[in-house]
Amino acid sequence: MNMLIKKLSPQKHRDSEKAAWSLLLSQGRVLSQITSDKKVRFNFFNLYAFASLWLSFFSFILPTAYADETPLPDLDPKFYSVKVSNPTRDAGFVVGDALDRTLVITIKKPYELVKESLPIVGYEHRWKGQISGVELVKIQVDEKSLSEAMQHTLNLRYQVFTTSKTVKHASLKAEILNVRNTKTKEVVRLRVPFFDFRVSPLSLFGQIKLNEDMSPFVPPLTLDASSEKRNMQWLIGLLTLSLLGLLYIFGAYTWLPKMGGPFAKAYRDIRKMPETAEGLQQAVARVHQSLNITTGSSLFGNNIAELINKKPAFAPLQGQIAQFFALSRQVFFEPQAATQLSESPKAWLLKLCRQLRDCERGLPVESPQK
Amino acid sequence: MSDSQLADWRKHALTLESEVNKVVVGQQKPIRLVTTSIFSRGHVLLEGDVGVGKTTLLRAFTRGIGGGYQRIEGTIDLMPNDLVYHTYLGEDGKPHVSAGPLLQSGEDLSIFFFNEINRARPQVHSLLLRVMAERTLTAFNKEHHFPHMIVFADRNQVEKEETFDIPSAARDRFMMEIPIVVPNDDHIMESLVFDTRYHDVDALVANVPENILQFDQLNIFGAMLQNSISASPTLRSYVLNLWRATKAPLDYGVQVSGVDMKRLVLSGASPRGMGMVLRAARVNAWLNERTAVLPEDIHDVFHATVAHRLVFSPVYEMRRTEIARDMLSGIINAIATP
Repeated sequence: MNMLIKKLSPQKHRDSEKAAWSLLLSQGRVLSQITSDKKVRFNFFNLYAFASLWLSFFSFILPTAYADETPLPDLDPKFYSVKVSNPTRDAGFVVGDALDRTLVITIKKPYELVKESLPIVGYEHRWKGQISGVELVKIQVDEKSLSEAMQHTLNLRYQVFTTSKTVKHASLKAEILNVRNTKTKEVVRLRVPFFDFRVSPLSLFGQIKLNEDMSPFVPPLTLDASSEKRNMQWLIGLLTLSLLGLLYIFGAYTWLPKMGGPFAKAYRDIRKMPETAEGLQQAVARVHQSLNITTGSSLFGNNIAELINKKPAFAPLQGQIAQFFALSRQVFFEPQAATQLSESPKAWLLKLCRQLRDCERGLPVESPQK
Repeated sequence: MSDSQLADWRKHALTLESEVNKVVVGQQKPIRLVTTSIFSRGHVLLEGDVGVGKTTLLRAFTRGIGGGYQRIEGTIDLMPNDLVYHTYLGEDGKPHVSAGPLLQSGEDLSIFFFNEINRARPQVHSLLLRVMAERTLTAFNKEHHFPHMIVFADRNQVEKEETFDIPSAARDRFMMEIPIVVPNDDHIMESLVFDTRYHDVDALVANVPENILQFDQLNIFGAMLQNSISASPTLRSYVLNLWRATKAPLDYGVQVSGVDMKRLVLSGASPRGMGMVLRAARVNAWLNERTAVLPEDIHDVFHATVAHRLVFSPVYEMRRTEIARDMLSGIINAIATP
């Protein structure tokens, strides 16, 4: 019957309603006549008449009342616009997760939003009689008046209260808002699109034993991070080596301050040189090179004072440096020239280099060579 | 040549130097360079301000060397023939011709002193060029030789009026150009002003003993000396690098403040110039009692023998002295040996 009434036109609706009321009234008159005639007796007939009267009433009135919840017509799209901002992902939600959704609804005049139609916090949404498990937990409405419209910003927060053994479908329902025409008082509806997402279980089915894994005394589950740790160790090692390399480069290719100076390098080089005439020439040339680098220009026997002026730390070895130039004179320019070395030239050069190296490091120099 | 001969001659050379140092004070380095030049048999050009003692210095050396001494003053109207002969009317009223300063001493001419050479015309420079290079002169249908002659000349760079710049070819004939500057020592400066012995230059120069050296032996000794002092391969390589650096200083990282080094040098030292550097360096080594040339010997004579040979872009010629000094110092600092 309900379905039949739903299919009736509004005019026929009103006719049937009138017929019901007239039937009720006629039966009422019959009943009043019976009672007024004082011939009323409580018998089966009277009970039947009373029951039939009320049955007739409900059979006409109740379907008429139910017909008031029929869907309202939709608002013409030209009078509104809806901008929806949904969660950035649509999968991987588990029980307890919150989903934020923002609706920006602009309704043009003469229509206005019926505030009472806004979603209600805590309302249990059902789908086909089943609780959907997604509940609105917070709503915030901001309004902004435009010249020819009203803009409503709805910030909605839903929370998932459902789970299952496998991934299942869920959705943020398509909210239906009512809109009233301020001139004609006509009420129409405005539908906001729904948002589908997937709810995942908290754990894989069968992998969790309630007795063991869900006990409050069991420590929280930890992920296996051994490979990440190993990668981290490699990267930290690489970073350390890089920093050390950078330090070495910024430190002018030395590990410590004043280390690896010209004479330190010369000392290492000369140790490897052979004890021949050519080796001696190479050794003397190597010391010349270090002296030139230290002075910043070519150093000769007649301008040793320039080195001392620039690097006073070498002053204690001025005599030895002059002696070195005498050796250089003999080796490179004047073989007949005499030197006053009491040991082999190479051994003497090594001692000199070590002393010069100490000078360049700012260390106290040993007693001058004889 | 024996070591004793070298030592004897060294003793004479140092005596001459010492005597000149007594007359011209505070000029030890120029005096050493002139001594070096005499034994290298090279001509000397002194450069300096007016009144700093250039002429006195050369006259003192002339007296010590001995031999024929001639002198001429550079003037704007001086002509080449003025160096060769004089014409005059004699007491007999007839014209006479007599030998000029170049010919008067004949082959015994030891010192030809050309005072203020930059006042003479280029024609005179040209004649002098030949005399300095070849030590010969053709006059009166005869070739005259001056085997022992050394030209001492001086000029002052400050005065530019009525002067002629000496062309680079003529400058190259001089072994050395030696700058003479007033000494900085207060004691010497005071002595130069207040000591009356400096008032009479003739009397001052007369203090130098005559004929300390045997002028006619200098050529022979000079040649022997050059053969006695050796130059090692390392030193040869060093000198070649110095020579290359005078041509392309930028290749050796030499910079002079405020100078575009790419445009500075038009011509570096000449082969003759570098030969003279080695000649002078050998004498310097001998004077320092060495038997081989050291880099220090090169350094002692490098500025004096090379600076005046460099040919710079005209835009830098006005600052020649300063730029040449900085550039050559830069070269010595930049090039190492071995």
